[in-house]
This record gives sequence, C-alpha cells and structure tokens, in this order.
Amino acid sequence: MTISEPISEVDIEVSINGRTRRHRVPARLLLSDYIRDTVGLTGTHLGCEHGYCGACTVIVDGDAVRSCLMLAVQADGAEVRTVEDLAPAGSDCLSPMQQAFHDNHALQCGFCTAGFLMTLDSVDPAEWSEPERVVELLSGNLCRCTGYQNIVTAVTEAWSAYDGSGGSNDG
Amino acid sequence: MSLDIDSHIRHSTRHIGRSVPRREDRGPLTGRGRYVADIKIAGMLEVVFVRSVEAHARIVSIDTSEALAVEGVRAVFTAADLADVKTFPDYIPYIGPVRQRPLGTGTVRYVGTPYAAVVADDRYIAEDAAALVAAGTTYEPLPTVADLDQALAPGAPKLHDHWENNCSFDVAPHKPEVDRAFEQADHTFTETYVSQRQTGLPMETRGVVADITDGTLTVWSSTQSPHMVRSTVALMLGMPEPQVRVVHPTIGGGFGTKTHIYPEDIVVPWIARRLDRPARWIEDRMENLVASVHAREQRHEVEVAYDDDGTIRGVRCASMLDMGSGEIFMPGTAPVFVTNACITGGYDFPNMQARTIGVVTNKTPSGAYRGFGIPEGAFVMERIIDRVARLTGTDRVELRRRMLVRPGQTPYVMHGGGRLDSGSHTESFERGVEMAQPALERARARYAGDPDVRVGVGYSNYVEPTSPSYHLTTGHWGGGDAATVRVDPDGSVRVAAGLSAFGQGAETTAAQLAADALGVSPEEVTVVLGDTERAPYGLGSWGSRGAMMLTGSVLLASERLMDKARAIAAHMLEAAEADIVLTDGAFHVAGSDQPSVSWAEVGTAAWIRYVDLPDGMEPGLETSGYFHPENLQHQLDDTGKINAAASWSNGTHIGVVSVRVSTGEVRIEDYVVVHDCGTVINPALVEGQVHGGVAQGIAGAMYEHFQYDPDTANPRFASFMDYLVPTCAEVPHMEVDHFESPAPEQPLGVKGCGEGGTVGPPAVVAGAVSDALSEWGVDLTECPVTPVAVRAAIRSAEAAGTGADS
Repeated sequence: MTISEPISEVDIEVSINGRTRRHRVPARLLLSDYIRDTVGLTGTHLGCEHGYCGACTVIVDGDAVRSCLMLAVQADGAEVRTVEDLAPAGSDCLSPMQQAFHDNHALQCGFCTAGFLMTLDSVDPAEWSEPERVVELLSGNLCRCTGYQNIVTAVTEAWSAYDGSGGSNDG
Repeated sequence: MSLDIDSHIRHSTRHIGRSVPRREDRGPLTGRGRYVADIKIAGMLEVVFVRSVEAHARIVSIDTSEALAVEGVRAVFTAADLADVKTFPDYIPYIGPVRQRPLGTGTVRYVGTPYAAVVADDRYIAEDAAALVAAGTTYEPLPTVADLDQALAPGAPKLHDHWENNCSFDVAPHKPEVDRAFEQADHTFTETYVSQRQTGLPMETRGVVADITDGTLTVWSSTQSPHMVRSTVALMLGMPEPQVRVVHPTIGGGFGTKTHIYPEDIVVPWIARRLDRPARWIEDRMENLVASVHAREQRHEVEVAYDDDGTIRGVRCASMLDMGSGEIFMPGTAPVFVTNACITGGYDFPNMQARTIGVVTNKTPSGAYRGFGIPEGAFVMERIIDRVARLTGTDRVELRRRMLVRPGQTPYVMHGGGRLDSGSHTESFERGVEMAQPALERARARYAGDPDVRVGVGYSNYVEPTSPSYHLTTGHWGGGDAATVRVDPDGSVRVAAGLSAFGQGAETTAAQLAADALGVSPEEVTVVLGDTERAPYGLGSWGSRGAMMLTGSVLLASERLMDKARAIAAHMLEAAEADIVLTDGAFHVAGSDQPSVSWAEVGTAAWIRYVDLPDGMEPGLETSGYFHPENLQHQLDDTGKINAAASWSNGTHIGVVSVRVSTGEVRIEDYVVVHDCGTVINPALVEGQVHGGVAQGIAGAMYEHFQYDPDTANPRFASFMDYLVPTCAEVPHMEVDHFESPAPEQPLGVKGCGEGGTVGPPAVVAGAVSDALSEWGVDLTECPVTPVAVRAAIRSAEAAGTGADS
C-alpha cells in the first residue's frame, strides 16, 4: 500500500481582508489551514474540522462558509474576509457587533467567537434582526461557554441600532 | 483574614461587587487571541498519534517501515522507544493501580488508546504516515466488556491482569440508623437510576507544543493545571522541575477535561527532547471524542424507606461508576465519591447510606467534567422525592419544603461529613417557586387548546462544594494556591497567581481584588496566570475554586505588601505608621490629604532610591501569599467522614416543560435559577457561569450521550453528527436571581460558582416531563430525555397500565 504519491500543487491568488495573496499550495490544503498556517491569520479557529461547529466560519465572496470544508484552491480568485478585518483598521475601536459582545459578556473562552462574528457579518441585519431569526441564524454555530443567552442579547442590542439604510452590515 | 470587605477596600470606587468589564475579550474578538494551535516556532515538527481501533486487544506487532519511508516523516515512536519514561504515578492507595504507560504497550483497553506517535514536517504528511502505521498494526483481539454488567459478570474478561476482577474500588459504609429506618418505615421501594456517558467538550480541543532551549524544556499546553503538568512532566522525564516550564496560552474552554494530565502532555515534550526540535500536537475533534476523558456514566441502585405522610426515613444507594479503562492521570475515581457526598443536596437528610463502586470497562477513561459527580446525585435524590410524593399523594413542593435545610440550621453537617457552612437553601427554593409560578401559568395557558400537549414542572435543590481538596482526587496534591503581588518602581501593580483561566474571567477578577486592596484602579493592575516560570505554584482552575483562591491569595499578599508600603510611606512623610492611610493610590497622614506619597514614589524608594527607605529596611516591594482555606479536610476522619470542600454554594433550578405526547418532543418553556455563591466579586461573570453551566446541564438532560456497541465496546460516535451538542435553538431563556450568603470562614465570604449550573437540569427535566406525563404514570429514571425515551416511557406505561386512569 502506498499513498505517498506526488502531491500536485496549485498556484492561487486570493484576496484576504483586502490584500492580494499569491501562493503555491498543495491541492489538498484546506482553506482553514491556508488562512491559519500559510497566511498566518490565526483568528479563524478550528473546532471540529468536519463542518459542524462553525468556529472556522469566514466570508468568501460575501457568503459565510466553513473554511474547514473548502479547499484553498477553491478560493482562487475569491475575496475572503476573516475576523481580523472586522475592527476598524488603525484604531483601538471595535466594530459595533464586537463592542456589543464585549458589553454583554457574550464570550468567555472566545474560541467560537470569530465564527459567530463572521456569520453575523455575512447577513443583512434588516432581514435577520427579529429575535427568532437571530436564533435561527446562530444555530449553526456552537458555543460551549455562554449558554448563548448573552450572545443573542448582544446581537439584538447591536442590531436594534440598525437604521435599515443598508450601510455597514457588520454592525 | 477579615471577612469585612470594607477593611480591604482602599479605593473610593469599590470594584469588588461590580461587573467590571473583562480584560480578556479583546484578543478573541479581534482574532488576536493566542491559543496553543496558534503557536508556531521555527523548525517545529508536527506530531500525530496513532490510536487503537480495537477496544481490547494485544498488539502483536507494529510495522512502521512504510510510514518511515514517506517523504517528510522524521520519526515514528512506539512504547518501546519510551522505555526511559517513568510510568504515570498511582498515588491513590485504595483504587486498583493501572500502571499507565505514556504509549499503549502490549494490551490496549479502549478505542482511542495512543500507541504510536508519528513526527513529520507537516500535519498532512504526519496524518498520511499515521494511516500507514495503523495499517501496519497487527492486533490479537481480546473479549471486551462494554458496560457495568458485563464487567462484573462472573468470569468476565479482565482489563488489568494484576487485578482480581474489574472492580477498582468498593467502599461500603454501614449505618445501623439506616437499618432502623427501614425496619420502622411504612413502605419501601427499590429503583435503579442511570446517568449517561458525556464529556465536557471544550470548543478548543487539547494541544501541546514543546521546545527545548539551553536545557530548559518549555511546554505550552491547553491545560487547566500548568504546575501539576510541570511536576508530572519533570517526574516522568526525570528532569529537575526548574528546567521545565509549562505555560497555558489562551485556552478555549476546559470544563474539567483539561485538568487531567494526558499521555500527549508527556510524549510531545519527550519528542522535543529526543529530536532536539520543537514539536506540536493538536488534537482533532474525532480523537477528542475518544481520547479526552468522558464522564457521568453512573448507575444508582436505590432502596428507599418512607412513611404514608411522605416522610423519607432512609435511603440506601449503591453508586456505580463506569470508569472506562481507568487509564488516566489523575484517576477518574473521585466524581462518584462526590456524587455520594452531595447526593442529599440542600436537604436535611442524614439517613443516607451510600456505597461507592468503581468498575473498569473497555471504553474511554472517565474523569472530570464540570459538576464532577454532583448532577448524578442530585438527579437521584430529586427523582426519589418525586416518587415518594406521587406514591403518598403528597405535594411535591410541600415535601421539599419539609426536607430543606432551614435558615439558622447552618453550619449543617451532611450525611458524609460535608459541612454546609452557610446558604439559602429554603429561601432559594421559595424564591424559585415564586418565579416559576407565572411561567407555569403561561405555559398552561399557551397549550390549553392543544390536546396533544402536556405541561409539567421539575425541581432541583442542590449544593455545590467549592474549593475542594485535591487529595482525594489525586492522592497527592492538596488544595491551596499562591499569589505574588509586586509594585514596580513606576507604581504599577503586578499580580501573578498559580491559578489558571480558560474563559471564566479570572484575570479581571484578580485585577478587581488587587485594585481594591491597593487603592488603584483595575486598569493599573497587570495580571499573570498560567505560567509556571512567572507565577507561584498553584493547582489551577477546577472545582469552583478560582474566586476563593484568588481572593485568599491576592488579599494575603496585598496585605503583606501594604504593611511594607505603609512603613516606607510613613518614613517619607515623617509620620507614625499607624497614622498612614491609603486612598486612591496615594499615602497620606490620616485626616489630611497633603502632603502625600504616591505608589510610584514608594515603589521607587523600595527598588531604586534606597536613600528614601527607613534605616535597615530590606529593599524590594514584592510579597507572596499562600492561601489554604480554613476547615478544608484532606483525609477521612475516624468516622469515615470528610468535609472536602472549603465552602458550599447552593441553588434551586425549576423548569417548566411542554411535552408533545404523539412525538415525545420536549420543549423547555422557561427555566428559573436561584443561585447563591456567597459574596459576588463580579456579577456579570457569575451570571455567565450560571448560563453556561445550565446549558451544559441541559445538554446532559436531553441530548448528549456517548453510546458504545455492547458486543464490541466500539464507540458509536465519531463526530458532532452523533454526539448532539445543543445550539442556541435548544437552550432556553434562563431567568436568574441571586442570594448572597457569605462563606463565614473564607476571605470576603467568597464561595465559588463554576459548576452549580450543570447540576440542576437532569433532575429538573426528568421531573418536569414525568410531571407532565403523570396521567400515564410516567416516572423517568434516566437521561437523556429524548423524544424516543419519552415515547418509550409512554408506551411502556400504557402497556403496564400504570396510569392514573387505569
């Protein structure tokens, strides 16, 4: 038995948080491992690596995806956003949603937090701000510390300020 | 140490008791947290463990040649390579010694036993090679035991050849007064209650990074107890402790599973030394489900003696723990002792005779999980009370009222020696009943028109031992913790403690305590935790001990530092020490703000400007406090009893459920918690602990269950598709209220709050569903309460004709 056949490598070009990255990567490299190990953005966490827990959620071309279920080569030519891109650049400020998480004690160990934030960032609050919709939206992300109550409160609070003008959708 | 908080407060804005915002949040919120999997060291190799796919087998041979031929593979190690590593200690004298080796050798006893380690340039290559090692392994399968009955059957296959049978321990006290209760009671019944196998399941799996530089081994481990890891790594690798540094980076949850010291904590540092290269292992979720400890699998065989008026006269309970293979350090034996110690909960019920049995099976070793045996016992007691209420036609609330520890009855010594130092057992229950009443009415109104739905309510009144002794659990360590407080020349404060933190907010808590004690703001306090090189020896975070340990050790060190600082300030102000007061970071003579001396001036004098020090004073401004709680016992007394916790929190949980009869679907309509953990340091953090605990309790009550094939002891789970973790759609809204009954013998009256939330839900959900289905006579005796279980209970009640209408 042998499985150590030559591994094909692929050149990819991915925009990550607005910056273009070019790498030659193994064809089998997961997008999650690419983001964490190749690019070095470790804010995206791996909680299960089988697409269930949602911790590794990033935004690819506007959609929330589980980066552990996607190959890096599939992101060739795509625009990827990760948690590192949420806070306004060059300041100590947090995004309104990050701030609401902080204000409402909506994270404890913080391992799942990036996944929640990216799921939230991928939608239009105008369509999701009803409490039942918030629960539906977040039901794809596991948190083991908070019991979810403060997360739902944080989201409701952050989105209650949403004016429906279609501006920033991360708050 | 004074219980009077005000005597410790030296800041005009008191921080203790306020929801001071967490300093831990920013990293995870912005993607800048640093978890163990985020650590990258130049030249670092990746380790993947090869694990047994057989539940019980002799490993005949391991062919590593194909794995070694894979490009990028640096080494494959098996047990034989680790001959120079010592065996995990068997410190507890009264349990069967398992003589655990860091890698499985000869016989493997559960699916998931690590028996080889592949080291490669990257994880993908290591995984490839691990598959080749697995394929090159020849087993001679042995007969398996998959549960308690199989393990205890006459002639059952033995896991450990040097044992007589599969029983690790059997501690059976005899109480003549319980015998008398059975002789005198009007009635008796017997029942078996079952708690299913679960695990803490932190969202971050375990992981270890090891590096050796200039002879010092540094281990980054996702552990709850860095100092204990250091002691054990040093012992097993034969290194002096000062040459081993253990650091926990940011930790993504632990819930008890990371209190244990696992084979990987030893093998990865050994590999780093052997290859003289940094090495890293990150557990994947599939191995996490079989290789991190399980918990809670207990069976309780109960005899109950009761009278016509509902009085429960006596209970005999044999509590049996399925330990899995038992191959874990520290052993997973203690939770079932805690179950029995806490089984009577907040009730005044001395006539309990509890036998404690531990049995090994061919399953993942069991160990710690938040709650640590308390939920299992609370379940048994509440189910007994509900049964007696039903059998005697007594109101369930009234019966509980009659049994609860009353105001003024504390300190109350429980049947096993646990000493409830204070508490609000009756008050919490009354408050909970009051809070739940509108919820019950709402639910009844909501489903009044739906003939397929029944509504029920369930109760739990529990106690939570806090800051326990670790001696019974480990046979080795005790139950204290240390902190060091330093004021630097610039006046800034640094607190270092042996405690660890993995989401609870211990850094924020420590800063609040030091701020008030030293008259500064929390922002001026730097906190160092979880680093054996930078912080004094401590046992880490588990057992709801963080708040009390921090309070005791930080205040002790701060008071000592204050004594010296006051002397320096008095000298500088040319005043008597007794006249010096500290307010908001400045020392001055009482009654006058001017002149004053700042912390920076005192710090500078202590470290640099010796000319400002009193004659003969030793320079420096750093003090330590080693806190050991009063009244904490580590060993049984002459009567076989022990108070193994420094204090006891308490609480009441009440849940209102709706049950859809045709489908068995259970919905928690409302969940009420009344919680009492003594003096509260940070209300938001306490509430967060309650929320998270309740969610895990509900997980155990309704969803999570590790199931094994009875014929092969093979796990029937491999992912989150099989092990059902609740999402926000399953966890109900929790309404939380608080009492604060200070711990009379502990600093500031602080108790602890980490685990209580997990305790109530199994009893509450089973009680509420049984109540909802009382017309069928349904009386649930085990969890999880799944739709399948509910339908089975209804069907079997219908078949037996036990319903009220029959």
